[in-house]
Amino acid sequence: MSEKNPFPNENNSGHIWDNDLRELLNDPPTWWRIGFHASWILVIVYTILYPSWPMLTTHYKGVMGWTAMGEYKEDLQSLEQIRAKYEDQLPGKSAAAIMADDELSNYVMKSAKVLFGDNCAACHGGGGAGNPSYPILADDDWLYGGTANEIITSITNGRKGVMTAHSKSLSTAEIDELANAVMKGEPTSSPLFMTKACFACHGPDGKGISAMGSANLTDGIYRFAEEDQLASIKYTITHGVNDASDPATRNAEMPTFGGSKLSETDIKKLAIYVHKLGGGK
Amino acid sequence: MATAQVDDKYNFDVVRWFTVMAIVYLVVGTLVGVWIASELAWPVLNFDLAELTFGRLRSLHTNAVIFAFGGCTLMATGFYSVQRTSGVGLWSNKLAWFVFWGWNIIIVSAVITLPLGLTSGKEYAELEWPIDILIAVVWLAFSFNFAMTIANRKTSHIYVSNWFFLSMMVMITYLHVVNSLAIPVSLFKSYSIFSGVQDAMIQWWWGHNAVGFYLTAGFLGIMYYFVPKQAGRPIFSYRLSVIHFWALSFGYVWLGAHHLQYTALPDWTGSIGAAVSLAMIIPSWGGAINGMMTLSGAWDKLREDYILRFLIMSLAFYAMSTFEGPVMSSKTVNALSHYTDWTIGHVHSGALGWVAMVAAGALYHMIEKLWNTKMYSAGLVNLHFWLATIGTVVYITAMWVSGIMQGLMWRDYTEFGTLTYTFAESVAAMHPYYAMRAIGGMIYWTGGAVMLYNTIMTIRHASSNPSVQPSTRATAAA
Repeated sequence: MSEKNPFPNENNSGHIWDNDLRELLNDPPTWWRIGFHASWILVIVYTILYPSWPMLTTHYKGVMGWTAMGEYKEDLQSLEQIRAKYEDQLPGKSAAAIMADDELSNYVMKSAKVLFGDNCAACHGGGGAGNPSYPILADDDWLYGGTANEIITSITNGRKGVMTAHSKSLSTAEIDELANAVMKGEPTSSPLFMTKACFACHGPDGKGISAMGSANLTDGIYRFAEEDQLASIKYTITHGVNDASDPATRNAEMPTFGGSKLSETDIKKLAIYVHKLGGGK
Repeated sequence: MATAQVDDKYNFDVVRWFTVMAIVYLVVGTLVGVWIASELAWPVLNFDLAELTFGRLRSLHTNAVIFAFGGCTLMATGFYSVQRTSGVGLWSNKLAWFVFWGWNIIIVSAVITLPLGLTSGKEYAELEWPIDILIAVVWLAFSFNFAMTIANRKTSHIYVSNWFFLSMMVMITYLHVVNSLAIPVSLFKSYSIFSGVQDAMIQWWWGHNAVGFYLTAGFLGIMYYFVPKQAGRPIFSYRLSVIHFWALSFGYVWLGAHHLQYTALPDWTGSIGAAVSLAMIIPSWGGAINGMMTLSGAWDKLREDYILRFLIMSLAFYAMSTFEGPVMSSKTVNALSHYTDWTIGHVHSGALGWVAMVAAGALYHMIEKLWNTKMYSAGLVNLHFWLATIGTVVYITAMWVSGIMQGLMWRDYTEFGTLTYTFAESVAAMHPYYAMRAIGGMIYWTGGAVMLYNTIMTIRHASSNPSVQPSTRATAAA
């Protein structure tokens, strides 16, 4: 401003705003000025080293030859070199043969831990401890069979449970009777088990048929475990499982992990891992 | 009343309203932040209601703190300082009120639409297209009124704070309009006109410059007016102002690419983003030292002036986070830090430590001037200062530990060359730090609540004492 400088003994620019706002004519500190020049020099150095300046159809590649994909592949290769000793043997060996080899099994357990954690644990729980409505994998009760090859089939193709809804074919009293018999672990104690054809799927002894994935009704282990287990059993008998005719039906479906999702070797590793969680047959 | 005398020359009513709303939004925005931080530590807090889930409320939190609190702060301080440094009232008082109501309508529409899940899915630009258009209109009205006030100025030169405000206005208009270009398919749904990696690049070109121009250039404008005013000292170096202003203005727009290292973004783009980011450390520190050195010869004022404490502490956090950011943008560090909580910690050292602290200092300064009084309680200002400082430190420390731990766990291999940890194990390991972060946020929020209480009491006290004598400075300015 043109007015007289009210701060005459100060090395200011002579401009005053809002009564007392003013700026001194100090130079920036030396270290800062050196840093400032170092900054633009750094931009030049960095962009000489790394791929940088764009051109019409390509870009300057950088003297180090660095690319993000190159770095990724290099890292991956160094890991694959360590894994190769084991990985190379896996495709040619059956799950049983791998489990017979201590060193290979050890590798598989380490490798499959993360595969299990990232693909299976969300439903089946950490360590296969199960979750409400998701089967426990750490026990020896299997819907679809507990051999390594059966587990491989389950993981590869997924599973979808099937049970008819019985709200029309059974009376409430009949459902009560059957549910109580299952709850006692003695499904065959009710004559309805035979007359209403429960045995056709769950087997004449009520112990289930693994080829169909039908549940063992005698062991007190429940696919649909709930706090009020009796009510849960009644619900399952009434509405069935994946029965499209009943909108309230139970849902029990495991997705397919074969094909593009997991490789055959990874599935084999997972089957061995699950098998060794405690209850493999 | 003294305020009436100053108001003869300046339009301060609209500034008062922006000031009060800024503090209200500080409390609301950080409360939502504390809530979602708690949800991450204790997920039961979302009560299985879609409207309360982290995904919905996270964008409400960021919009509330950046655009509601940050925006009202910028508009309050901008309209206040541009008048005082130009020696004239606003070009249009009516247009300023239009900006006030327009901006608050935008905030209300964000509060309604975001929890309902109406979003364009672009980070820091989630609001749907009709609101985007309203933002552009109101923002241009703010900018135009500001620029015309400068054009009417009675001073020969344009003060440095106004350079920074103007730089923000030009760049945010450009960034907001380009990033929000979209094809609407209905009133509340639109699709970006960009696709794939171009969309990602445009998104982060906006995303980083919302930080660079809105939360940095704008708030440096605040710093350049309020630090010398509160300290009663001249700016340390005019030359430093000029160099770091142009360095930041030309440098910042290049940085967005550093958010997309090791993605489908071409390597050359990421390198330039990293190189220019590293070159921004010194220009950023230029602003920090220019503010701090302004205090040379007056450091003793920090002992008694709690408002000044906010301003100086904010510059310390600014210097720290403008060092941290460029380091994180280099390819080597980014390989560890990307996708981890370290990023969240970095953002909050800037947001809580720099933006909200310099804002608090400026808002306290303005309250005393606008209502021509002292704060109701200086002790509560000091309490707010310590709650804000401790809250910030607790928050960012938790995120440093959590983030670096995450990055290390994700890249840890066994002797067999297989991953050591599952993703879920890294999530479980973060839990104590998530709780610690929520507590840090609660401490920070308490500080904001104290500020709101202190402000309400100050204003009540000032309006029930109409006999307050005009301050000498206010009279001199009139």
